[in-house]
Amino acid sequence: MSAINMNLGQYVPTGSIIHRLDPRAKLISMLLIISAIFPSKTYWGIIIWCGVLWGLVCASKISWRSVLRSAKPVFFLAVFTLIFHIIAGLFRDESLTVSVISGVFMSIRLVILMMFAVMLPLTTSPLELADGLDAMLRPLSRFRFPVNEVSMMIAMALRFIPLLMEETDRIIRAQVSRGARIGQGNIFQRVKSFMPILIPLIVIIFRRADEIAVAMEARGYDGGTSRTRRKPLIWRWKDTITVMISAVCVGMFIEIGL
Amino acid sequence: MSNEKKSRNNPPLIEVCSVSFSYGRNNTGRALNRVSFFVAKGERAAILGHNGSGKSTLAKIIGGIIDPSEGSCMVNGKDIREIDFRELRSTVGMLFQDPENQIVAAMLEDDVAFAPENQGLSPEEIQLRVDMALAQTDMLRKKDSAVSALSGGEKQRAALAGVLAANVECLILDEPTAMLDPSGRLKIEKVLRYLHAEGMTIIQITHQLEAESFSDIQKVIVLSEGGVKWQGSVNDFWENAESLGFTVPDSLKIKRYCDSHGIKFPEGLAELKPSAKISTPETKYDDKFLVDGLSFKYDENSYALKDINADIHAGEWLSIIGKSGSGKSTLVQHLNALYKIQEGKIYFDGQPLPQKGEEVYALRQKAGLVFQNPEDQLFSSTVKDELAFAPKNAGFKGELLDEAVIYGLECAGLSRDFLARNPIALSGGERRLVAIASVLSAKPEVIVLDEPLAGLDASYQRKILGMLSRLRDEGKTIITVTHDLDMALHYSDRILILRDSRVINEGRPYEIIHDIMGSVKPEAWPEVLRVSAEVRKVNPDFPLIYDYEEISRCLQ
Repeated sequence: MSAINMNLGQYVPTGSIIHRLDPRAKLISMLLIISAIFPSKTYWGIIIWCGVLWGLVCASKISWRSVLRSAKPVFFLAVFTLIFHIIAGLFRDESLTVSVISGVFMSIRLVILMMFAVMLPLTTSPLELADGLDAMLRPLSRFRFPVNEVSMMIAMALRFIPLLMEETDRIIRAQVSRGARIGQGNIFQRVKSFMPILIPLIVIIFRRADEIAVAMEARGYDGGTSRTRRKPLIWRWKDTITVMISAVCVGMFIEIGL
Repeated sequence: MSNEKKSRNNPPLIEVCSVSFSYGRNNTGRALNRVSFFVAKGERAAILGHNGSGKSTLAKIIGGIIDPSEGSCMVNGKDIREIDFRELRSTVGMLFQDPENQIVAAMLEDDVAFAPENQGLSPEEIQLRVDMALAQTDMLRKKDSAVSALSGGEKQRAALAGVLAANVECLILDEPTAMLDPSGRLKIEKVLRYLHAEGMTIIQITHQLEAESFSDIQKVIVLSEGGVKWQGSVNDFWENAESLGFTVPDSLKIKRYCDSHGIKFPEGLAELKPSAKISTPETKYDDKFLVDGLSFKYDENSYALKDINADIHAGEWLSIIGKSGSGKSTLVQHLNALYKIQEGKIYFDGQPLPQKGEEVYALRQKAGLVFQNPEDQLFSSTVKDELAFAPKNAGFKGELLDEAVIYGLECAGLSRDFLARNPIALSGGERRLVAIASVLSAKPEVIVLDEPLAGLDASYQRKILGMLSRLRDEGKTIITVTHDLDMALHYSDRILILRDSRVINEGRPYEIIHDIMGSVKPEAWPEVLRVSAEVRKVNPDFPLIYDYEEISRCLQ
């Protein structure tokens, strides 16, 4: 409902097979796939990854529109990459066609990479994601790394990002309705014009943080060391299979050099 | 009544013994001063106080969030400071005003599970507690929902479920319905009544007893300037309410009159012959805004506004009413071009509403918009700078600017020593006044306010209502967007009803009273209206009256 609708990978519950995988399996697979897309250099590689992505989105039962909307911010980056590539090509005396083609290639790769990345938060609730991270980071607690706190922080951040987006939208409206000219004028004026948005936002964030801390304490949260889970993470066969498939895919890609 | 007697004899669950609290060191910033009272097991108590009376601080002390500076708070006969954290958290639960600040997970079930998870229960026990809490709050059918898909009232019930899942004996509620619309408020009250009947101890902190809850409340504690000013039963409270600075509900005033004159309530009223409708002469008016066939969609599938036609007259006070999500905010945000028109037309003073360029800034100066939450706009380090923001943007300079700031300040009834103060450090009511002043300082012709009274105590409500009436009398056009039917009926000249993105009706309160009544549940009608609807069951000729003044006139 807001004007700056940037649902940065907000969870879309559909109950698909992908949703029901262990978050750890999804995290590992995503890391593997992303690390394989990065170095891929051929058209065939990109086409195959597109196919994999298509299969993944279909299996997740999430609409393409949600996926594209979540990956929206990266499109700007992709266009920027393309332009930058063309300009850089001019300096290197490449022919325009060559630099356009390779620029388009890089942009598409970036978009595909981002779309794989957003599939994780789209199919995994913030709490599951935090639980998965918590479990994977657990060994670090031996080195006094505050695993509980960090995973709770991530879960809370994911929960509150959409809310703060709405809040920002409301603040912008309140200031614009008082005649604020946001992002106009020279650099100095522009920076200054953002203060009426930034300051209320910071005040609100601090106030919220304060109230949330009290509400969490009132519900018995004491750092989370002895917390149990309603749905404990259970590693099943399908999770092992998922990770294995991703690993084999990635291995093949690197081996063949696609 | 049997319930009352039963819980009276119970041992105290919460005992506050001579509690004092200071925010600063060495007794500076004293918020509470030697507060003592107790609440018995199974009792439902209300702690009443105006803004700044120290009631929220008291809530945090009873809830064991902060320790008192002096005195002690006992739970089940034990000093709260000596109770084990986990035991305390499964005895006393707290619900606050804003559900968004209490819900920690994105999915409803995950959130309700938070407290039992903290208690280290097994997955089966946790699920049991979650199902139980969702059933108690009538949220079971939303079980698989994402929190973001819930309405405001549902979110607050979700937050309540999250508290109940800790299996507490006592609930402390700090203004739990202040941010909700009437139907959301009624549903929470229904849940609270049910819980109370099941034996839950409830302590409700509020600035005004809501009509729907006072029959269930057994004990009232009035807090003022950090001390207990009065305590007793709810019936005794109403006897003393006016001298304690609280408004008596209209229906109670009528009932009292009937009792003292031997009239049966409400049937006896049927014999009275109230004067018919107040006939106000039809005056000539100019259109300030003319909305013609306006439609608006956020995305392709759903209309936020559908074919809206409305006249907003110059110098009138128009109230726009309708449920949450009926399109009220979207409509008024069109009026100063915060939303671009997609379909249809809007005329301002006979001219098409500007959509871009400098003309838009000129429009925003003429039609000011005050949002519900002052926190969304206050950003300056002094009230003076805050009030100068809008006029400066509108091109006011030098002396004119200073004069505009003073104008805004005086319109809002704030004294000059406010100019140097920091808006963030003001109280909630003062912040609201500064936010309104910061829009008025640009000298707008039209002022649009979104829920101007929400969450304020009676004295600030009166201040704002007085201010708006004065501005209207000076010729400004006032538009209020509200759930508050009392305000809409008593103060505004005309009412526009929206439902499901469409205009249901538009007109003077008396003319469209049936549509207004149809727009909300009978429980949410203004009290006098409810009484007259009762009387109409006996005497169908009895007119629908919403004004206490009018019914009291015919009583005499």
